[in-house]
Amino acid sequence: MTFTVTPLRRWRITRRKLLKGGMGLLAAGAWARFFGFFRHARAAETVRPPSTITTRLRINGRDNTFKLDSRVTLLDALREHAGLTGSKKGCDHGQCGACTVHVNGRRVLSCLTLAATADGKDVATIEGLAEGKKLHPVQQAFVDHDAFQCGYCTPGQIMSAVACIKEKHAETDADIREYMSGNLCRCAAYPKIVAAIKQARGATERG
Amino acid sequence: MADDTSIIGKARPRIDGPAKVTGAARYPSDEPAPGAVWAFLVTSAIARGKVKSFDLDEAKAVPGVLDILTHWNVGGDAKPPAPTSKGKPTTTLESDRIWHDGQIIAVVVAETYEAAREAANRVHVDYDEEKPSATFGSPGAQEEKREPGDHEDPKIGDPEKAFGAAPVKIDQRYETPTQHHNPMELFTTTCFWQGDKLTIYEPSQFVYGLKNNVAKQLGIDPAKVTVVSRFTGGAFGSKGGTTARTAWIAVAARRLKRPVKLVATRDQGFTIATYRAETRHRLRLGADANGRLTALIHEGWELTSRPSQYNVSGTESTARIYACPNVETAVNLVHADRNTPGFMRAPPDTPYMFPLESAMDELAYALKMDPVELRRLNDAPKDPINGLPWSSRSLMKCYDAAAERFGWKQRNPVPGAMRDGDWKIGWGCATAAYPSNIAPCGATVRLDGDKASIGLAGQDLGTGAYTVIAMTAAQALKLPVENVSVELGHTDLPAASLAAGSSHTASICHAVAAACDKVNAKRAQGETGVIEETAANVPNGLPDSAMDKINHGQMAISRGFGRKDCTAYAFGAHFIEVRVHGRTGEIRTPRMVSAFASGTIINPLTAYSQYMGGMIWGISAALFEKTEIDLRAARYTNDNLADYLIPVNADAPEIDVLLVPEEDNAVNPMGIKGIGEIGIVGVNAAVANAVFHATGRRIRRLPIRIEDMV
Repeated sequence: MTFTVTPLRRWRITRRKLLKGGMGLLAAGAWARFFGFFRHARAAETVRPPSTITTRLRINGRDNTFKLDSRVTLLDALREHAGLTGSKKGCDHGQCGACTVHVNGRRVLSCLTLAATADGKDVATIEGLAEGKKLHPVQQAFVDHDAFQCGYCTPGQIMSAVACIKEKHAETDADIREYMSGNLCRCAAYPKIVAAIKQARGATERG
Repeated sequence: MADDTSIIGKARPRIDGPAKVTGAARYPSDEPAPGAVWAFLVTSAIARGKVKSFDLDEAKAVPGVLDILTHWNVGGDAKPPAPTSKGKPTTTLESDRIWHDGQIIAVVVAETYEAAREAANRVHVDYDEEKPSATFGSPGAQEEKREPGDHEDPKIGDPEKAFGAAPVKIDQRYETPTQHHNPMELFTTTCFWQGDKLTIYEPSQFVYGLKNNVAKQLGIDPAKVTVVSRFTGGAFGSKGGTTARTAWIAVAARRLKRPVKLVATRDQGFTIATYRAETRHRLRLGADANGRLTALIHEGWELTSRPSQYNVSGTESTARIYACPNVETAVNLVHADRNTPGFMRAPPDTPYMFPLESAMDELAYALKMDPVELRRLNDAPKDPINGLPWSSRSLMKCYDAAAERFGWKQRNPVPGAMRDGDWKIGWGCATAAYPSNIAPCGATVRLDGDKASIGLAGQDLGTGAYTVIAMTAAQALKLPVENVSVELGHTDLPAASLAAGSSHTASICHAVAAACDKVNAKRAQGETGVIEETAANVPNGLPDSAMDKINHGQMAISRGFGRKDCTAYAFGAHFIEVRVHGRTGEIRTPRMVSAFASGTIINPLTAYSQYMGGMIWGISAALFEKTEIDLRAARYTNDNLADYLIPVNADAPEIDVLLVPEEDNAVNPMGIKGIGEIGIVGVNAAVANAVFHATGRRIRRLPIRIEDMV
C-alpha cells in the first residue's frame, strides 16, 4: 500500500496518448465522444470501490468505533473522524514528526500508520496529556521555556518528548538532541526544546 | 523603558502557550466544517505549454467523486489573484496555459479525502509541451533591467571612477539558491457559503488582503467574505499573498453547496505558493589603504516567472549600511518558466547582504585588518545615500557586546591556524541590519470592570503577537496581563496590515495603545460600566487614507528608508564558530553569539526566540537549504521535507542572543523597530567567512556543502 500522492505529475505518457497514437488523425474530442462508452467500461474495470473496515481505537482512555475507508491513516482518523485536531499534518510522509502520537505507549508517526492497523490498541494524543487544567510537566516546561513559536509542530514535539524521557533517551543534551531530531521545528526552537525537556525530565521522574 | 512597575520589557510566557501545548489552538484546517467534502489538486507535469485535453472518465468513475473543476467548466468563474508586484500573475484554471511545473490545472472534489486523492491520480492529461527555461543561463530565459519605481536605485558620487582609483579592490560574483519557506503547516483552505456569504478558513499573514482579493477574483462584494486564521502554523512570507487555490475552492463550494476542504500536499506547496528566488550578484568594493570605503557598486540579478516582475531589490539596504561616498546599484530580472517568487524571511536582505558581508570580510583580509575594525572604521554616522540621521544606530555596540561574549580576541586571523584534532576551526562575523517598518492598523478595546478584551485582525505567526498585545494593553489600562484577552485573525475585527517585514509588532501595538488611550480618556471623564473604543493608528509620514488601503486589503507601509525625517534600521552583529573536518569536509556550527539592538523590546522571552529562530534560519541558508531544479524540465526535484534540508535539533548550535538596550525616540512613539527578520540577515556571510577562516577557501555560492570542502 502506498500513500504517495504525486505520481500523476510524473506520468508523461498517458494511456490516452498511446490510444491517440494508434487511432491517428481524428480530433481528440471526437474520439473521446465516440469511445466514451468503452472508456467508461475500462474505467469501471480499473476503479474498484473502497473497502470499509470497522476499527476500534481506545483514544486517550476512551473506546471509539469507526467505520473507515481502509486507506484512512491514523492521523486522519484522529483529525477528521474523532475530532481530535491537536495532532498535526505537516508532510503526510513521516518526514516531519508533527503527527507523533503514542500507540500502546510507543511514539509513532500517525500519518504513516493506517488506522486499521491500530485496531484494538491504545492511542494517546496531545489532548489526553493534561489532567484537567493541570498541564503535564512537559507541556508546562514548553510554556516556561518558550520552546515553540508558531506551535504547529508542538503537539508532536511534546508527544515525542514524553516518550523520549520514558525511553531514557533524555539523560544528556546530546541524547535529547539526537532522539528529538525526528521532529522538525521550522521556527527552530530547538535549543529551548532541549531546555524544556531537561526541566521536565526532573519533574516527570519525581512525579 | 522598563521600570519596576512596567509590564513592557519584562519576559513573559505566551498567553496562548497553554492552547498551543494542549492541542487546543485552532489552526485553519482544525476549524470544524460540518458536512465538508474534500478537494485534491491536480498539478501540471510540464513547465511550459498548454493542456490539450483531459480524460476525466476514469476519475469520475471513482466512487464518491462529486465534481472536477478544469478550465473547461469553471475557467470564467474566477480571475487570477492580483499580483503583489508589477507585471502579471501566472494563471491556473482560467485557461489552458501552463506557465510552470506544478501549476494547478484541475481540482477534484469527492466525499472523502481518499476518494479525491485517488480520482486526482486518475485524471489523465494530454499536453502541448514546449521546451521550458529553468533558471539563469537556461536557453530562452529573458533578462531585463528592473526600472526604478517600486524600488529606488541609489546612486551617489562617481563610483566607477572611485573604484578605478582605489588602491584596494574587491570585485567578485556571488550566488544564492532557490529556497522554499516550508512552514510546518501545509497550505490549506476550507470554504463554505451561507447564501451569498463566503467564509474562508485559511492560514494567512493578512486576512483583509485575502478577503478583498478573493472577493475581487470572484466578482463579489468584499463585505460578504469572512476570513478566519486564528493561528498560523508558520508562514515566513509564504502566507502573505493570495494564491490561486482559494478562489477555486470557493467556486467548488458554491457549485456543490457544501463546505469544501483542501489540504494541499507538501510537494504541491512548492509550486502553488511562492518561494525565495535564486539571485546572482556582482559586488565591487574600493577602499583606501587605511580601509575606508571609497566605492561600492552592487548589481543583482533575480529570477522571476515569465509574466511577473516580482523582485526584492536588497540594494536599497546594501547601499546604506556603511559610510561610502561613491555608491551605485542596479537590479536585473531574469524571466523563466517558473512559478512567481515572493517574500521569504528578510526577503531583500538575506540574499543581498551575503555578497556585501562576504566582500567586507574579503576586504579585511586584503587590508590585513580585523573584520570588526573594518566595520568600525566604516560605521556610517548618517544615511550615506540621503544624508538623513539614523533614528538610532547601535551597530558597533552590538559588535562589541557579541565579540566579547564570543571571545573574538582569542582569534588567530590566519586561515587554517586554529585546529582541534581533525577539525579545522573558523570564526566569522557579519553585520545584521533590517529597516524598521510600520503600517496602519486598527484595534478595538473593550473594558469590562477589571477585564479587558482586545480585538484586531492581525496575526500571530508564532511571533508572540497575542502576548505583546496583552502586555501593551495591560500596561496602558493598568491591569494585570492575566486580565486581558486577545482575539486576532478574523475579518470581523478592525483591519491590520500584512504581518511581515518586521512591521507587525510596531503596527499593532501602536493601534492597541491608541484604543487604550481612548478608553482611559472615557475613564477619566468618570464613565463606568463597559467601555468599548476602536482606534486606528496611521504612522507618521503616511496620509490618513492609508488606513482605507488596509481596510481594502491593499498595502500601505512606512519603510525604514524613504522617510523624510530619518532613516530607521535595526542593527546587529553575528559571530559564529564553524568546524570543518579535515578528512571528510563535514561542516558543523557548534556555537553562535549574536547581539541585536532593535529599540523597545516588549517581551524579551519571545524576542529571544525570534532572534534565535532567525539565526538558525541563517545557518540553514548558509549550509542546508536549496531547492534543486531539474534544468531540463524546470522542475523542483527535492520537494519534500526529507530532501529539502532544514536543520533538525541535533544541527542547532549552542546559541547566545544578546539584547542590546536601545532607546529610539525617533522611529515611532513606542520606539519599536521590529525583530522578526534581522536574526537571519548576514548569518549566511558570517558562516562563509568562518569557513574561509577555517580552511582558506572562499565560497561565494550558497549553500556551502561538503563538496566545496574536499
